[in-house]
Amino acid sequence: MADTDLVIEEKKEAQATGESTRDVPVFIPAVDIYESENSLTLVADMPGVPLENVDIDLNSDQLTVRGTVSPNEEKGKMLFKEYAYGDYYRQFTLSSDIDREKIQASMKDGVLKLVLPKAEAAKPRKISVKAL
Amino acid sequence: MAIFRYPNWRWPDIPGALEDFERARRQMDRLLSVFSGGSSSPTSSGVFPPLIVTEDENTIYVEAEIPGIKAEDLEISIVGRTLTLSGERKPEETQNVNYHRRERKWGSFRKALTLPEEVNSEAVNAECKNGVLKLVLPKPEHVKPRKIAIKGEETNVG
Repeated sequence: MADTDLVIEEKKEAQATGESTRDVPVFIPAVDIYESENSLTLVADMPGVPLENVDIDLNSDQLTVRGTVSPNEEKGKMLFKEYAYGDYYRQFTLSSDIDREKIQASMKDGVLKLVLPKAEAAKPRKISVKAL
Repeated sequence: MAIFRYPNWRWPDIPGALEDFERARRQMDRLLSVFSGGSSSPTSSGVFPPLIVTEDENTIYVEAEIPGIKAEDLEISIVGRTLTLSGERKPEETQNVNYHRRERKWGSFRKALTLPEEVNSEAVNAECKNGVLKLVLPKPEHVKPRKIAIKGEETNVG
């Protein structure tokens, strides 16, 4: 077991995402973003969102991720509530050129994984130095 | 490891006073939640995973948000009235990458919850879908509310 204890990260509500027509709160998902030589990967926690409800939009360098939850029927009387049900929305500005044809999105256990391969021009080029 | 028990916290000795204070605090929270969208919970235990517990006449429902936790890394047990959820959220394995952002947390967790009623632990149904765990805990026959018919006094007119 890892020696860190997990605590609840309270979901942060997104501010000003344009007027929403849905009657649910909109949260900012927690994300990891990492870059390798060939691609940029974005991992976002969006519990309750099935893959077909994920909306990804790349507009020049603006990446928008939106996840909508299906309506939750709450059964019975509420005894205890530690989180709220809601949609997810977050926008990113990408710095490197992305090959948008090859973007891959997958969803597993409520975690969205987005692999954004870099365009050829943006890949680092090795420059060999010749010794004279 | 953090163990959280619900709902049997006890106020210390001043009878009535703290309950009044608690009630006032709840009313204040409710009032404030109108402005904040009602999302944050004043009773959050802070221990992962966050839960929603509801109940009807025959069943207790427990929901937990556990994104990224595989079924095999999660353990659910019921002893008496105590439901325990424990497990581990593992970090993603990556090699030769630079992190730009690292907001997702990982680690192990253990949360114990005292259920308001006994449940039939043999008939519990657990389902994990899209990172949300749903537990359906049926109550055994003897704790289900029973309707009691009241016999009215026969009134004879005339």
